[in-house]
Amino acid sequence: MAQGFLEHAVVGVPSIRAVFITAMPDCLLYEAWVREENSEWAVEDVASYFGDLVRANRHGLKALGSWSSEMQTTIESADMLVVLKEITSDFVCGCVFERGAPLGMVRLHLKRLLERILANLPSVHNEERPRGVRIVEFLDRYAPDPHAVLLRVSLRTGIPIDALKAAESMTADQIALMEESACRLLGLKQLNI
Amino acid sequence: MERINALRSLIPSQDLTFLAGVPYVYHCHHYNLFHDQTIDDALGEELGTKVRTIAARNAFRELIAALSTELRADTPVERLQLATDLFSWMGHGTLKLSVDETGGRADGAFLHYGYSWREKYGAKVKRSHPADAVAAGFAAAATEVAFSLPSGSIEATEEHCIALRDAACRFALRRVNPTPAPREVNRSVVEPLLGPVFGGMEEEKITAIADGLRGFLRGVAGDERGLVQAFGVFVSMHLSNYYNETVFEVIHHIEREQPRSADVAEALFREAGQVCVFHTFGNILLSPEWEGMVGSPSGSPAEILVNSCAIARGLGFGHWTIHEYAPERQFVLRTPSNYEAPFYLRRYGRSDKARCCFLQGSALAMMVLAHRVKWAENPRLTQDFYISLFRGRIPWRVRQPLCPTRGDSMTEIVVSPV
Repeated sequence: MAQGFLEHAVVGVPSIRAVFITAMPDCLLYEAWVREENSEWAVEDVASYFGDLVRANRHGLKALGSWSSEMQTTIESADMLVVLKEITSDFVCGCVFERGAPLGMVRLHLKRLLERILANLPSVHNEERPRGVRIVEFLDRYAPDPHAVLLRVSLRTGIPIDALKAAESMTADQIALMEESACRLLGLKQLNI
Repeated sequence: MERINALRSLIPSQDLTFLAGVPYVYHCHHYNLFHDQTIDDALGEELGTKVRTIAARNAFRELIAALSTELRADTPVERLQLATDLFSWMGHGTLKLSVDETGGRADGAFLHYGYSWREKYGAKVKRSHPADAVAAGFAAAATEVAFSLPSGSIEATEEHCIALRDAACRFALRRVNPTPAPREVNRSVVEPLLGPVFGGMEEEKITAIADGLRGFLRGVAGDERGLVQAFGVFVSMHLSNYYNETVFEVIHHIEREQPRSADVAEALFREAGQVCVFHTFGNILLSPEWEGMVGSPSGSPAEILVNSCAIARGLGFGHWTIHEYAPERQFVLRTPSNYEAPFYLRRYGRSDKARCCFLQGSALAMMVLAHRVKWAENPRLTQDFYISLFRGRIPWRVRQPLCPTRGDSMTEIVVSPV
């Protein structure tokens, strides 16, 4: 990847405040560009949430029988306009514009911007990472006390803390236990990971 | 409430506080929620709630009975009134009891646990079990004492809870077969279990600050909601018997049923101590009240340790002293008294291992706060900041070479490089 390619990609795009590229399916930040006055934004968190949002949107639309890969999500908040798009099966792009930007102008520039971004993204051959690892990452991102979450899971399941830290080597029984525990900690019926 | 306030007492040389002879301390909602969460992590939600409810009933039964005797509340209605006043005064919220000797119901508003859980975690997690075991145990205890029922003859269950996104908290109380009361833990039995008094570094300074803080806390009581909102946290005046019974019942259970997890349970109870020092001590240090009383923190690590010992004493945690301190290298905290060891000795007798997890975690957190927080910059003590300080590799470890539960005359906690 050409590091910093987003800085060039946003040149000439008016009203743009930030761009976040999220690597899927893990919802991890791949690259971000944020205008200087928004430098306090937690870009990794934002990228993760955007990834989750797109995934949830995809599941919801599929459940309605209305999904297509061309979909994009537009969010009009009080002070910004956010457009989320799954640009490849491996990447989600979130573009944040000033709220006052006309929607038509945004769409026009967004198309060019996404083309420039797409040209810089690598093709990814995802390896299906072990489910245990993904559960640990999920907990790390969403549990209310992430610093203590492995201790909590260990106490709840009896799985030694060292085994949780090496989640890629866990047995199927341990993973099932950990998943059940994660659901209880987060108040979820199942983990969509 | 002045008549209840007048029943506070102190063992000045040991910095332990009592209400009508029952030991009490102050803890904030961050600590309380983490503590209860750990109980449930260890036992599961159902058994955890049961253990917490019973511990609260046992602890508050002792207090409400003692207060009723001292204040000559003889009739059920007087005792119930006294209990509900007490509950709010201690900062636990508002509780309305509609009960008789067969049980009944209780309605809660602004309950310390449910309300603060909703505020802290409500936007992040969907909770599946109610949060107010302390209020449930309190309601059961109040009913038992009001109608002179034997210990354990009222069972209280929280049926609606704001932490579950219900509109209000409601409890059902019913009569059950009594269970024997555990051994009382009050001033008269605690006092003989304390070690000989000694001082440490900066003793005079620590004593003066602790006295000032205690004086300030004497005037603190629940507001119109029954909550104490001070130092940027919700503060509760709470019974150490509750904390101790829950912690030690859990640790003994784990040692029996799942011994390989005992270290994990203890680590989480130490973590609770860290949570307490970070949120309660830290926010006290940064508060306008502290600035008026002592002055703003200068950023000197030694000063933070001195002030932290004073805060611990002021909150009723015992006579914490600085025995030894070398910047960045070593901190040795000694105390002839803390609120954990006397309880253990009274309820369970001697142990073959050190049992003061709260104190261990607290001492470690004091070292971290002393050396890793830029106090002069008036930092915000957020959860993210906590995580950044305590997550991952902390350069110190903590151990407890001396513990009264093993027959030592004092508690010694050593924080030293990993």
